[in-house]
Amino acid sequence: MSSSLYFTDEHEMFRQTVRRFVEQEINPHVDEWEEAGTWPAHELFAKMGPLGFLGLTYPEEYGGQGLDFWYTAVFCEELARINCGGVPMGITVHTDMCTPALAHFGSHELKQQFLEPSIRGDMVGCIGVTEPDAGSDVAAIRTRAVADGDDWVITGRKLYITNGTQADWVCLLARTSDEGSYRGMSLIMVPTKTPGFSVSRKLRKLGNWSSDTAELVLDEVRVPRANTIGQEGMGFMLQMQQFQRERLVGALLSCAQMERIVRDTIAYTRERQTFGQPLINNQVIHFRLCELLTEIELLRQLNYHCVRMMVAGQDVTREASMAKLKAGRLVREVVDSCLQYYGGMGYMEETPISRAFRDSRLLSIGAGADEIMLGIIAKIEGILPGKQKSR
Amino acid sequence: MKIVMCVKETPSTTAEKRFGADMRLERRKEDAIINPFDEYSIEEGLRQQEKHGGETIVLSMGPATATDTIRKALAMGADRGVLVSDPALAGSDAVATARVLAAALQKIGFDLVLFGSAAADAYGGIVPSAVAEFLGLPLLSFATKLDEDGTTAKIERQAEVGYNTVETQTPALVSVMKSINEPRYPSMKGIMQSKKKTIDTMSLADLGIESGTVGAGASGEKALSAEKITTQRKGEIYMGNDGAAERVVAFLVEQKVL
Repeated sequence: MSSSLYFTDEHEMFRQTVRRFVEQEINPHVDEWEEAGTWPAHELFAKMGPLGFLGLTYPEEYGGQGLDFWYTAVFCEELARINCGGVPMGITVHTDMCTPALAHFGSHELKQQFLEPSIRGDMVGCIGVTEPDAGSDVAAIRTRAVADGDDWVITGRKLYITNGTQADWVCLLARTSDEGSYRGMSLIMVPTKTPGFSVSRKLRKLGNWSSDTAELVLDEVRVPRANTIGQEGMGFMLQMQQFQRERLVGALLSCAQMERIVRDTIAYTRERQTFGQPLINNQVIHFRLCELLTEIELLRQLNYHCVRMMVAGQDVTREASMAKLKAGRLVREVVDSCLQYYGGMGYMEETPISRAFRDSRLLSIGAGADEIMLGIIAKIEGILPGKQKSR
Repeated sequence: MKIVMCVKETPSTTAEKRFGADMRLERRKEDAIINPFDEYSIEEGLRQQEKHGGETIVLSMGPATATDTIRKALAMGADRGVLVSDPALAGSDAVATARVLAAALQKIGFDLVLFGSAAADAYGGIVPSAVAEFLGLPLLSFATKLDEDGTTAKIERQAEVGYNTVETQTPALVSVMKSINEPRYPSMKGIMQSKKKTIDTMSLADLGIESGTVGAGASGEKALSAEKITTQRKGEIYMGNDGAAERVVAFLVEQKVL
C-alpha cells in the first residue's frame, strides 16, 4: 500500500499508537461486549482522551489537537482493526458525528461545557436526529422545543440513538418554530440528566451488538436557549453539514474494514484445503477476491480525495455522498462473497466474518440511506425531477 | 536527576528474519521497531522522572535511520535523544557495543542508566553487564521494582522463587523485567512534541574511540551459520484396552501433570 504518499511520519506514529491501543485495550474485550450488548464508553474514553484520540481536528483551546483531517483518516483505518463494527461506530459517533457542529458553530460557553470534557474523555456524546416517523427524511421530525423565557422546553422521541444508553449529552435536532419542512429546526445540546429526559429502552439489532442503541424520550425537558448551536432555525443546515463528516468517516472506516475482511479471507482460503488443494487456487475465488480488492482500492482513492478536499476547505457534499453510497453497497458485496468462501464455518455466529456480515448491513441505512445519497447526488447534478414535493 | 535509557532498534518480532552472506541479520527499515523489552526501561525512566524530576535521555547505537526509533521513545515523553552512529560500528558484537555505550554514557553523564533485560533480535542479554564492567559501576539486573531516592537505588530482583532485594549507591545501572510496569502509549501530543526534541548524533571520533577497537573486525563473537528451527509434532497413540489407560497415566505422571 502506498500510504506514504499521503501520510507523514507523525501520521504513521499516531497509527502505531492507535493500533496498539486497539490490540491491547479493545480487542481482548470485544466478544464480551458483543455478548453484553454494550461497551464501556466512559471507561474507554478515560483512556483515549489523554492520548489525544477524541479531539484530533478540534481546536487546542478546548483540548483538541488542532490537526489535519488525515489524522482522522488514520484513526478510522486503525479503528477498523477492532473485531466488530459496534465499538468503532460508538467511538466515531462521539468523535466525528455528534461533535462537529458543536466544535464549529457552538458558543464558547457551550464548547467549554460539552466539547472540552468530551475531548478529555470525561463525557460521552450522542446525536439525536432520527425519530419514529423521521429517519433519512430528516425534515419530518416532530420533536419540538418551545421557548419559555430563556429556556427551551423540549418534548418528543428520538429513535435508534447510538451511545444512547450511556451518553452524557445529546446533540438534538428539534423543531423550534412552526415553519414547515426543513425550516424552523435547531440543534440543541441537552444533558441527559436533565429532568424529563429518559431512555425508554435499549434496542436489539441485527448487528453491531456491542454498540448500545436506544430510544430516548423527552418529556418537557428544560434547557437554556443558550444551548442552541449556532443560530436558532439553522439546525437542519448545520446537521446536513455535520452529516458530511459522518458519511466520510463511515466510508473511511468501512473501506479499511473491507480490506481487512478480504485479507483475512485470503489467509483462510490459503489454509483451507478442498479437493486436495488450497481453496484459493480456484480461479473463481482468487479472481473474485481481486475484483473486490480493486473496488476497495477505488473507494479508498475516492475517500482520500474527499479528505484532500476537506483539508483544502472545499465542500465535500457530492463526493462524500458518493463515497458513503459506494461503501454501503460494496461492503455488502464483500461480506457476502467472503462469507461464501468460509463455507459452513462462516455461517457460525462466533466467526468474525459472520459478525461482519451482520454489522455491515447498517452502512446502507444509517447516516442517510443509499437512496438519500442518490437524491443528494441527483440534486447536485441537477437531474432531480421537479421541485422536491412539499409536505 | 539525569536518567539515560538505552534502547536498541530491532526488527519487528513478527518480521521474517533473513541473514546476509556474512551471517549478520539483515535489518530492513520497514520492519524496525523499538526493542520491545526497552519499552519497559523507557517507561521506568519516565516514571522515575515524574517522581524525582530531572532529565530523561534516550541513547541508542545504530544506523543513521535509528533516529526514527529514538523519536518513538521521545514521543512517549523522554526529553532528548543521543544516537551513536558510525560506519565503522557495523558488525559490533555485544562487548564492542557495550564499549561504545559506556563511552557515550560517560560523555552524557548520568545518575541512573536503564536497560531492557535483553533485545528481541539476538536475546544475548549481555550488554547491560558489559557496560557496567566498562564503567566500573554496579548493575542491578532483572528488576521487577525500582525505588530510587537520589543517592541509592533499590530493586526487587527476580529470582527463581520470589525476589531478592538489592541495593546500591548511585550512579548505577539497572536492567528491568517486563513485569516492572505497563509502558504507556505515545499520545498525540507526545508525537507532535517529539518532532521538536533534539537528537544529537555522536561518531566514534566524538567519543574518542579508535575504530579498530569496535565493529566486525574487533568483535570476538562471530555467527557461523543459522538454521531454521523445525519442530516436528509427533503424537503417540495408545489404542485398545490393553494397558492404554496405564500408559496414559504413566505418561501424565512422567510429565508431572499428576
